Amino acid sequence: MAETPDKLVKREPEAPAPDPVVSRSTSSVLLICVLLLMASLGWALYDEVYGQRPWKGMQREFVTRYNRYLKRMQRQKRAAEEAGTEKEIKQRPEYQELDAEAREARAAVDPQLREIDHQVAFIDRQLAAITGDYQDKRGRITVANYRVETAGEKAKDSLRKDVAELRDKPVTVNTPVAPDSVKTKKERLNYAQLEERFLSLKDQKARLLVQKGELLKEPDALAKKRDAYMKANIVGVSGDQLDKLIEANKKFDYTIRQINVNGDQIVDRCETCHLGVREKNLELTPAAFMPLRKKPDRNARAFVSHPTKELLAIHNPDKFGCSSCHWGNGRATTTVEKGHGENAFWMHPMFKKENAEAGCQQCHQQDRVLDFAPVLTKGKDLFQERGCVGCHRYEGFDRETDALSGARQTIKQLEDQLAANDREAHQVTAQAGRDDTPEEKAQALLAKATALRVTNSQLEARIEQLNTQTQYLMQDQKKVGPNLKDVRLKLRRDWIPVWLKDPQEFRPGTKMPTFWYLKPEHDMVKAADKQRADHERKAISACLWQNSFEGQVPVQQSGNAGHGEELFKTVGCMACHSVGEGDQRIGGHFAANLTRVGEKENYDYTVRWIHNPRERWAPYCPKEKRDLTRADYEKNSKPFLFDTHGNSKCPNDGAELQVQNMTVMPNFRLSEQDARDIASWLFSLTQRQGYPEASYMDSDQKMAQEGFTLIKQYGCAGCHEIKGFEDEQRIGKELTTEGATPIERLDFALLTHDAEKGIDPFTGKKMPQGGNREDWYDRKGFFEHKIEEPGIYDKGKEKDWRDHLRMPKPYIDKGREGDDRTELDAITTFLLGSVGAEGANVPASFFYQATDRRRDMQDGWWVVKKYNCMGCHTVQVGQASTLSTLDFYKTPEGKEQLPPALTTEGARVDPNWLLRFLTDPSLSGITEQQLNAAGGAMLRDLARRSGANSGAGQAQPAPAPTQQPQAQPRQSPQAQGGAQQSPDTSQQAQQNDKPRAGGEQLKPQPGANRNGVRTYLKVRMPTFSFSPNELRTLVRFFMAVSSQAEPYIKPQAQPLSDQERNLARALFTSQQAPCLKCHLTGNAGHDLSASAPNFLQSSERLKPGWTFRWLLDPQKIIPGTAMPSELFKKDGERWVFNGDIPGSGLGDYKGDHADLRRPPRRPPARTTRRRRRARASRRG
Amino acid sequence: MAMAIPRPRGVSRKWVYLIAGVVLLGVLMLFVEDWHQLWKISSTPDNVPIVAMIPLVVFFTWLGVKQMKENDRLIDQLEADPQAAKTSHRKTAPWRPGWARELHVWPYLVRVEFLAAVIVTLILFVWSITLNAPLEEPANPNLTMNPSKAPWYFLGLQEMLVYFDPWIAGVVMPSLLLVGLMVFPYVDSNPLGNGYYTWKQRKFAVGMFMWGWFMWIILIIIGTFIRGPGWIWFWPGQTWDHNAVVYDRNIDLHEYLGISGMMGKMIFGGIVVGTFYLLGGLFFHWLMTRNAFEKKILARTSILQYLTFQFFAITVLLALPAKLILRLSPLHIKYVWVTPWFNI
Repeated sequence: MAETPDKLVKREPEAPAPDPVVSRSTSSVLLICVLLLMASLGWALYDEVYGQRPWKGMQREFVTRYNRYLKRMQRQKRAAEEAGTEKEIKQRPEYQELDAEAREARAAVDPQLREIDHQVAFIDRQLAAITGDYQDKRGRITVANYRVETAGEKAKDSLRKDVAELRDKPVTVNTPVAPDSVKTKKERLNYAQLEERFLSLKDQKARLLVQKGELLKEPDALAKKRDAYMKANIVGVSGDQLDKLIEANKKFDYTIRQINVNGDQIVDRCETCHLGVREKNLELTPAAFMPLRKKPDRNARAFVSHPTKELLAIHNPDKFGCSSCHWGNGRATTTVEKGHGENAFWMHPMFKKENAEAGCQQCHQQDRVLDFAPVLTKGKDLFQERGCVGCHRYEGFDRETDALSGARQTIKQLEDQLAANDREAHQVTAQAGRDDTPEEKAQALLAKATALRVTNSQLEARIEQLNTQTQYLMQDQKKVGPNLKDVRLKLRRDWIPVWLKDPQEFRPGTKMPTFWYLKPEHDMVKAADKQRADHERKAISACLWQNSFEGQVPVQQSGNAGHGEELFKTVGCMACHSVGEGDQRIGGHFAANLTRVGEKENYDYTVRWIHNPRERWAPYCPKEKRDLTRADYEKNSKPFLFDTHGNSKCPNDGAELQVQNMTVMPNFRLSEQDARDIASWLFSLTQRQGYPEASYMDSDQKMAQEGFTLIKQYGCAGCHEIKGFEDEQRIGKELTTEGATPIERLDFALLTHDAEKGIDPFTGKKMPQGGNREDWYDRKGFFEHKIEEPGIYDKGKEKDWRDHLRMPKPYIDKGREGDDRTELDAITTFLLGSVGAEGANVPASFFYQATDRRRDMQDGWWVVKKYNCMGCHTVQVGQASTLSTLDFYKTPEGKEQLPPALTTEGARVDPNWLLRFLTDPSLSGITEQQLNAAGGAMLRDLARRSGANSGAGQAQPAPAPTQQPQAQPRQSPQAQGGAQQSPDTSQQAQQNDKPRAGGEQLKPQPGANRNGVRTYLKVRMPTFSFSPNELRTLVRFFMAVSSQAEPYIKPQAQPLSDQERNLARALFTSQQAPCLKCHLTGNAGHDLSASAPNFLQSSERLKPGWTFRWLLDPQKIIPGTAMPSELFKKDGERWVFNGDIPGSGLGDYKGDHADLRRPPRRPPARTTRRRRRARASRRG
Repeated sequence: MAMAIPRPRGVSRKWVYLIAGVVLLGVLMLFVEDWHQLWKISSTPDNVPIVAMIPLVVFFTWLGVKQMKENDRLIDQLEADPQAAKTSHRKTAPWRPGWARELHVWPYLVRVEFLAAVIVTLILFVWSITLNAPLEEPANPNLTMNPSKAPWYFLGLQEMLVYFDPWIAGVVMPSLLLVGLMVFPYVDSNPLGNGYYTWKQRKFAVGMFMWGWFMWIILIIIGTFIRGPGWIWFWPGQTWDHNAVVYDRNIDLHEYLGISGMMGKMIFGGIVVGTFYLLGGLFFHWLMTRNAFEKKILARTSILQYLTFQFFAITVLLALPAKLILRLSPLHIKYVWVTPWFNI
């Protein structure tokens, strides 16, 4: 086009080239564009119908595969039928009888039914004849009335006339004459007549239909009975059901399936693809939907039925939807990724299969133990047991600590208010007394002063309550790790730095995590920092050592290791503790593995610990913020005595003291000799070895100071009691809503891109992930990697040593192969579900707010789990206690030795008795006064001895027990920390002077050295010294689990007549009812071989109703019990003894035999008894 | 560049440009460290129009320049041949003697417009099918997205916030920009060059507009491709590292000179800004008087028109790049004029 001017001039004379604007045709371009436009229109239509609706294909696939599966089932069914299952049942006489009955009943009413149907048909015809006209008329009148209502006053009258006219003007209707003729007759009816006819016909019809229903009642019930018989006797689905399903598939409606919960903004279309999820009768597995000759693919996994149908029964999908629990985007139907909410920016991506139970936590945060959520419950177990709770606050966990600080704060505020009120009252009174105050005003002021004083008395009551709570809370407050104020009493000095380097190395699986930054060999510690790591470890050791109690626990002789082993394995230690390493490890995982305990501990201390782990060396006063000494008590001329039985107040200021070791380990009430035996056995398990000399721990005060700073920084006091750190706060982040943290706030640091690309930071390779995503740039990925290696996000960062991450590496059991993800999944699930109300995908109205009984259960589980009750007892139906998994308890004699199952404890025992039992499981009858007296006696004894030995303070090293080849490291007096420790040292000196025999230095046990109820069991129910708070919670828990009413009022029973008593005695002692063979009687000789609880306690201990049920069928209450069943048989309305005792006259007794167990000496209450008997018979 | 390299025979200049462009692109690609990042930025539905904008701007600029050149050639031709100029009313190329002087709207214009409508509809169809709306999570007042970016047409404004006080960048500058565009017809005293592309007859006007236009485009491109998390400068192809740390500081010009005291600062800033306006005015005046034609146009311009233009030109066209350079230079200058009421 660009022509040069000269060319232009040259061509001018010739015919000019045509103007392109005018001459060029655009049709071909236009054609192409329009064709393309049409094509894109086609594309848009395709996208609309199929592209954006991939679920249509899914549904077709579902129908095909489901049909194939159902047909396969049907073929199998037919084959089975030919073999004679369904057919066979139909031929059984029972079925035939039922069938005949049903048919007969139906036949009996058949003529009447036919008559009714006949009449109804006639009424219907009559109705049909008038309905149209009637409704038409009614409509016109309604309209006319409306006109009247809205018309002006003047027009009203004439309009009213129209209405009247309409009413009166008759219409002609053709009504049928007789039931069986087609003839009709013409009738002229006005509106009133029409209405009356219409209503009467309707009424007649309704009455007839009711009549029909009445007639059908019996035949229907019988048919139902017959079908129920069939259902009960057939396995799986019946042929009819299959037919119905196949039929339903034929009519399959290809459309979006949507759950819409209007009020709660739930719109879930998940079932558009997950079509089988709500199938109730069939168990649809991926295998059912396998594509032909292939492995189960993604579709096959999508079509399955819900794996836990019970959950759907509790959480009706029509109310809860799907995404409430599972997360994901319930509305999206365009792609799997979007439907599962795995696309960017969707706040609630679907939980992966292994973390599915995270959804439960949204609403069930308060539940410590949750049915159908074993993974989540395990996660909570780990969070508590591995000591996560030591650094990270989590609502509900370690609640005593939180409640305690809350209570103390409130007390402080109340006391301030009290003082302020006092002051004001004074001022007001003074003002009222002044001469220039008018009388009226003076009265008002005095009234105000009075009001203030009354308020103050109320405040005082409140403070008193709070003080009591403080006491209880301090009793219940526990630490994850041992008390480190005791290290000098308890541990070998040189061992401590070795342990701190890597606890997992010394004791694999211990709950103490690896503080990797104290371990120079750890990968994350840079070469330049290795020395520092070593130094810090030493400094912490030194600080702990120098900040510990001084003294010497009572020296102990060595015991009988053989007997110790037997005790250890039978008394119940193994429910929490384990022994043996690696594959040899047996016992519970709740507490430490004790194999190497002898390598690190002081024998004397171990004995003292086993004797009573709660026995504290010195009480701690939270008000003065120091450990009290004997001097504090002597100063106030009080005995140096502290315990939970009323001696828990500070002698100086009356504050509540911490008087126990803050451990959950209970007191087994063993004798000192038994404790020595166990300790001796534990110490014989391994040989002591030497550790690098660590004398710096004794004397280096500079190091100890550095250590003090480090302990603060690393949060050691989260799990341990350490001097100077009693009020230390948790150093970690609160995790209550950690799962809701926006992904942007999770600092993947330099690993962000590895995470986005799905590269495993440990191996550097692509890692497989479930679902549609390959990356781990999500919360799950963050948590998992952080837990596996907490320092991971510091990787590659150039940080100052002081800024390194403080979180230690927790022990996560990965199984023998190292690929077991159970624990990792559990804790991740727990964290993922911890989203709080804001982050939840569920409307807050759905949160599980337990009340009454459910609340009691919820609260109780926290205590049950805290003390590991489930180590010994079966608390939940189907739950295996730790003991029951040990080899010994699987043998027949072992089974008899198992502690009782507590699934129906609340129904069984009297709550008042339970309260007493939990306080003192030995039921020794030792009261608090007695205990105090015993303590006092001991104290007097000690005082006498110390007086006798005064002046003889030279410490002579005690000959070490045989299991203790190394001498105890002694402390030089100069290095001793505070003045408050000197009394302890003097005590130590005195004790060292004592002959080594006897254990009178240890305080007496708060109960007898035996079980209270099942004295024949070797397993011991220990004393937990629960506070009244926890006692109440536990008793309520057991009552709630068994649906018992509260408060419990003991039903009064009518005493037996003489005859009845004789009968009962005869029954009781007869050979046929060998009650006395197993049950304890209190007779020492007999009790040696007895294996069932004592009858003497039963009247106080048991509930009558339960006892009655128990006698009838004990297997139903506690499966596997040794109590024999079928002692009684049903005879009409009563139970009679299943056997005959000649000469007893039992055969003539007309009463209920099983009811003869009532305790004597009870005031009569006939009605109660009658009612109970009636109930029993109904139950039968 | 194409001039410097001797061109082999038979190879047109077009090809040389093309090859040079491809080679340049190849060299630039060598600097790309993170293709994934580049793809992520470019494929975001929000950014697709911006990515498309780059070639479109280049293409239409090229088209405009091409037509400009052809028209200029026609103007030359007609100026050389007064006879032809008299007979012709068409001032747009292509035109040859003998061609109709005027054309009917129907069908010659309408059919082309219809074609354009069809093509645009086609593009919109395909666009709407393939790209979904760039929705993100529900707004969370406690969590600002990072980088948090304005829609593409506001990215220039957002980028300006880096260089100016929010009051200036967010209110004053945009208003001046809009008012400046509105003022265009009224400060224009050139009677030529209406209704067709021409460079010859409108050198100054076209030049000024292109300056502003490219400045705006460049700001958008910076905002889209270069500003990453924390509004940090990442070259295209660099990874947008959320943990990236850069050195930056905020220094006002007077701090370099050790001036303290509000009065001193105000006077100093006023002097600096005044000087800037003076120098800017001289610069534009020099541009306006570079040849006889422009001088002739200037002579037709009233003093009000002249001053209005100078004000907008200095404030918008000159101050923005000046401030940009000051801010990004190693001097890290934040403000030059600090007063209690405004900062520049």
